[in-house]
Amino acid sequence: MNITVLGLGNLLYGDEGFGCTMAEQLRTGHSWPESVTIVDGGTQGLYLLDYIESAEKLIIIDAVIPVEEGLKVHVFRNEIPTKIQKKMSSHQTGLSELLAMAKLHNHLPEDLVLVGIPPVNLEMGIGLSPEIQALVPEVISIVKSIIRGWSEE
Amino acid sequence: MARRIVVDPIPRIEGHLRIETVLDENNNVADAFSSGTMWRGLELILKGRDPRDAWAFTQRICGVCTTVHAIASVRCVEDAVGIKIPENARIIRNLMNATQQTQDHLVHFYHLHALDWVDVVSALSADPKETSEIAQSISPWPKSSPGYFKDLKSRLTKFVESGQLGIFSNGYWGHPAYKLPPAVNLLAVAHYLEALDFQKEIIKIHTIFGGKNPHPSYVVGGVPTAIDPNGDKVINVERLSMIKKIIDDTQTFIDQVYIPDLLAVAKYYKDWGAIGGGLGNYLAYGDFPETDIHDPGSFKWPRGAILNKDLSHVDEDVNPTDLSQIKEEIAHSWYTYEGDKDSLHPWEGQTNPKYSGPELPYKYLDTDKKYSWLKTPRWKDNPMEVGPLARVLIAYVKGVDEIVDTVNFVLKDLDVPAAALFSTLGRTAARGIECKQTAGFMRNYYDQLVANVKSGDTKVFDSSLWNPERWPKDCKGFGFTEAPRGALGHWIHIQNGKIADYQIVVPSTWNASPRDSKGRPGAYEAALKGTPMADPELPLEILRTVHSFDPCLACASHIMDMNGNEITTVKIV
Repeated sequence: MNITVLGLGNLLYGDEGFGCTMAEQLRTGHSWPESVTIVDGGTQGLYLLDYIESAEKLIIIDAVIPVEEGLKVHVFRNEIPTKIQKKMSSHQTGLSELLAMAKLHNHLPEDLVLVGIPPVNLEMGIGLSPEIQALVPEVISIVKSIIRGWSEE
Repeated sequence: MARRIVVDPIPRIEGHLRIETVLDENNNVADAFSSGTMWRGLELILKGRDPRDAWAFTQRICGVCTTVHAIASVRCVEDAVGIKIPENARIIRNLMNATQQTQDHLVHFYHLHALDWVDVVSALSADPKETSEIAQSISPWPKSSPGYFKDLKSRLTKFVESGQLGIFSNGYWGHPAYKLPPAVNLLAVAHYLEALDFQKEIIKIHTIFGGKNPHPSYVVGGVPTAIDPNGDKVINVERLSMIKKIIDDTQTFIDQVYIPDLLAVAKYYKDWGAIGGGLGNYLAYGDFPETDIHDPGSFKWPRGAILNKDLSHVDEDVNPTDLSQIKEEIAHSWYTYEGDKDSLHPWEGQTNPKYSGPELPYKYLDTDKKYSWLKTPRWKDNPMEVGPLARVLIAYVKGVDEIVDTVNFVLKDLDVPAAALFSTLGRTAARGIECKQTAGFMRNYYDQLVANVKSGDTKVFDSSLWNPERWPKDCKGFGFTEAPRGALGHWIHIQNGKIADYQIVVPSTWNASPRDSKGRPGAYEAALKGTPMADPELPLEILRTVHSFDPCLACASHIMDMNGNEITTVKIV
């Protein structure tokens, strides 16, 4: 089984870099089975298609604007929008577009989970806000538990 | 007041670009204003850091431009402290750069720009047999049977009928400015999907040389991946043969898919050979050194400038380190300069943001005053266009054989005069011409690298000046590259081993810049003027010209909105 954890975002804009920061922490600070690939995808849009299409199970970590507000970790399973409605950011376009493309190619991962946090600070600058930093241990344990669940299937 | 169309932002691109156009009574664009609505202050983040780390930050400026910023950054540090990189490092950087340019152009054409010309919904009414006949008449590309197009059509139809137009839901389908017959639309959509698949292969060259993608590693003094013909975790015989196969496949794809598609589509849009020309001034720093980065005469994409559409002369006196040649103005930009200076060379540059635009949300910008976060760069006081068209025209006038041949072939095939190059269509054609040429470079670099390795030269890194203690206490450097979308420059000032100042002028600063102090427009602004609009509510024609520049404004917020709110707007005010 091929499990990919893909962190998205821009490191230069505070909490916007959450996905990248998490990817780096997960990659360097923890040990994983060989089936797990952890990728800091930045804001690379279409360039990330291969990582998405080659994954059987995929976790995406990103800053999100959730449906229900709340400063907490939000988890979405297989319910991520896969079409674009005249969005302005190509990252949003990117993720939705990537998933739409993978669908058109018939290469969508069989399982897809988005783990997101609502950003507190998006000002230019490197590093997470204290509020988001406080959620990091929970994100790590959520990712671990998802992967454990998949590995035991 | 005249009607004003506001597109905020341009869909399908990254970043924050806002276009406001004023229409005349016949729905032609009478005037246009381009604004960057997001502040990019990377220069301030870099101050005080180790110059050897700068590339890792600059490559995050934009998600799609990582390689080019990394290369420009390591080059500016090397220039400042006097490092000469080994021959293998020059070749590998050229190969990575060529890979980036080739892949980026394919992605731009098929995934950003094609849908400005190709009507996806019209493809659903195509006769697959007719598409097959057209495909086989223009190219030997094997995926061309009626069955292949029939399958694709039924897959597409299912997508649309299930309400999942997906990626395609953002288009202006059925717009009267779409001219392709259904069969050609279906062909283009087929290749759109094939190109999407194929671009994944090209970029694997970066993984091999850069250690990891999507953010390959770079290093001041060379490249970070060792060469050992018999090793197993480095560049070895097996990986070299992988690279060779990718290059072969890339050239085939460009020759048999991209170029034939470009010509097939362009034939229906020849009127766009007279729309979107704009400034007529073109600038290239040049790139792909055959000897050394300080030897512009050896650049495979030459350095130079063309003014006023004059195809008889290239000004070769382009020197970005000359304090009088390149200056950034802020007459219409939300910045201040100390001492109320009008313009500054990047080595003297300042980044002092001071927003004075209207409060959000606003209807339109006060374009008589400051209206953009982009500065206004000028070369010898001239507004300039940068990018594939600039590079191709300069190479064409300088008589680079392959470019002269390819340009003349394209002009003849489309039956248009050379003046048609100064246009939206010309810009789009130039990108294809350049892609073919640069893919050819990839093959040369591969051959050079293999020959070097065979002769026993495996050096990829020069460590003699790695330690900042050996650097001059105070030094300045300039690093550059020809990024896919144009000339990119990084200017660094190093004091006591740390970054004292860092200024970046990206290609889209040249192209998307606001008016200068004399009221002269930037490249987008000039190019949009005169554009005829079929329906101002659906500004497809504006997108065509802006997309033809392949815009990139720095990434801002890329947050995944789970509510599906519309953010991109087209407003008539």
